[in-house]
Amino acid sequence: MTPPDRTGSATERVPFENPGWAGNTGEFDLTEDQVRGADFVGTRALEGGHPAASASHAYMLEEKDPAAPLFEGPYRERFEKILSRYPEKRPALLPVLNLAQELRGHLSPETMGAVAELLELDPAYVRGVATFYTMYNKRPVGRYLVQVCTNISCSLCGADDVLKAFLKHTGTELGETSGDGLFTTIEAECLAACGFATCAQINSRYFESLAAADVPAVIERLKREASVEGEDG
Amino acid sequence: MAYPYVSDREVRIVSKFFGDPEARTLAGARKRGRYEALEKALAMDPDDVVQVVKSSGLRGRGGAGFPTGVKWSFMPKNRDSPHYLCCNADESEPGTFKDRELMRWDPHQLIEGCLIAAHAIRAEHAYIYCRGEFFEASAVLAEALEDAYEAGLVGKDILGTGVEIDVTVHIGAGAYICGEETGLMNSLEGRRGQPRVKPPFPAAAGVFGMPTTINNVETLCSVPSIITNGGEWYRQWGTEKSPGTKLFCVSGHVRKPGNYELPLSFPLMELIEDVCGGVRDGHELKAVIPGGSSVPILSAAECLECCLDYEGVAEAGSMLGCASVIVMDETADIVKQVRRMASFYAHESCGQCTPCREGSAWVTRILQRIEDGRGTEEDLDTLIEVTTQMTGTTICVLSDSVAAPVQSSIEKFRDEYLALIRRGERMGVA
Repeated sequence: MTPPDRTGSATERVPFENPGWAGNTGEFDLTEDQVRGADFVGTRALEGGHPAASASHAYMLEEKDPAAPLFEGPYRERFEKILSRYPEKRPALLPVLNLAQELRGHLSPETMGAVAELLELDPAYVRGVATFYTMYNKRPVGRYLVQVCTNISCSLCGADDVLKAFLKHTGTELGETSGDGLFTTIEAECLAACGFATCAQINSRYFESLAAADVPAVIERLKREASVEGEDG
Repeated sequence: MAYPYVSDREVRIVSKFFGDPEARTLAGARKRGRYEALEKALAMDPDDVVQVVKSSGLRGRGGAGFPTGVKWSFMPKNRDSPHYLCCNADESEPGTFKDRELMRWDPHQLIEGCLIAAHAIRAEHAYIYCRGEFFEASAVLAEALEDAYEAGLVGKDILGTGVEIDVTVHIGAGAYICGEETGLMNSLEGRRGQPRVKPPFPAAAGVFGMPTTINNVETLCSVPSIITNGGEWYRQWGTEKSPGTKLFCVSGHVRKPGNYELPLSFPLMELIEDVCGGVRDGHELKAVIPGGSSVPILSAAECLECCLDYEGVAEAGSMLGCASVIVMDETADIVKQVRRMASFYAHESCGQCTPCREGSAWVTRILQRIEDGRGTEEDLDTLIEVTTQMTGTTICVLSDSVAAPVQSSIEKFRDEYLALIRRGERMGVA
């Protein structure tokens, strides 16, 4: 399956040898791309495509610029499209915070203030909402945010060891960012992939059926990807 | 080509095209009959659509099991104000992983279901509230929705009938409580996802203060085939009170975990033994949570006669919930798992109601203490007392969800708690 040609941001990607993805049991003859609907990260247009789907961009990008403007060019277009789908401005708050985080990597008080102004809301209100939701990073995170599910189904299948392995092999403590700025590992609540335990979400991608032994290969893979992209640009 | 979790005991209706990448594309979906039910429904009076769904006996697949057609019939019949449909795609109940699969394998089935439901309740706009972590599923859904708009299947003058329904994918940002219907509405309005006091019920004043119906992804996905084949057809599976088929999400210590679509009232032990290949080699069944982390635990003995429909699981002492079957063999540490569930609820409590906000954290601390070998037997009484006061005393049922695993596990696995307490005492830690 070739990725659809509607890209604004797609970088050339190394084919992904994911040691674990949904149901990769060895007796199954679909490729990972066929299961996932092509490499979905970065395949949606930056300006949001059709307004109906403009809020659904895969926004956990690896390149983060805490000083990126809110919102210009295609991002302005996407912002306007999101607003067009609701009867008032407030309902756009979550998607717009997502958009801001996609650009800046985390939501600083300044970013929340800027979003508040755009949506004509109080900065304190925006902060109150943003801190309610776990996916908004309140401080900078590494290039790869590793979220290991340790809830019941994953826990039954060895999630604690997977989490420990990520901490060990990235040389970090829970919530810390590694010295090279690449990895931040945190615990996540159920990611709704319970049949494919253990599941870890790394930026926008789910890694499923992970065992602790798979972790070094995953980390190596991401490091390689980061260095390739670093050379390119 | 087959998706790995497949069993010849299955009756695949909503999961018919799992493992078939072509069904994701609009052309592939139409070739497989998608949007034929929409054409049929749009030619019908909205009330007749409601009637067909009522006659099928379809019950909400999000956990509560409320009859879908009845829910739809609560919506006002006039169009004095806008009506809204919300599709609850905030799947986050531990143990549940069906909606993600429905969205990423067969997005057009969901879009079609949304359109038919919106027509039936006279809604002008359907919002699909998808949990933020579902980047992949929402990207697949977004692409399908764009194609459907372009083909005139969504938006103005659908299929030349003059009917206008918009559909929007709305992305959340990580909060379990947004799966509660009034929490979802608050979140959709750009607020904290704190549940609302009912009444007013959503059909009277829901999202943006307007009449609203909220349905789970699987519920809406079940609608198109019911419209095509009729209510009686759907009743050939399941029981009088729990008709139809249901996706069972099996996780934990089984050989072949996965989503299996089975007729309701399927025997639990056959699901574990025949469909999922049994518990892992050399291990034996210890306990099962039949409906996601919010329901009471069943001991292995209680599973023997249990049939998986809403009434059957209640009879066995638990709830079907969203049919998320978490299987544990004898290696599972019940106290640790219950503590893990309690800490999840403590994390996800929205904080509005004191019994939940304080109780869930308190319960977690006690469980952690017992797990660490610093507990006492009185702690078990305290747990029962606190969780009793957390039941039925709050705006939503998150608080009750803490009580269910705690109380049922103390009742059924008291020995495990006591063993940890005694060991702690012997080691002189306590």
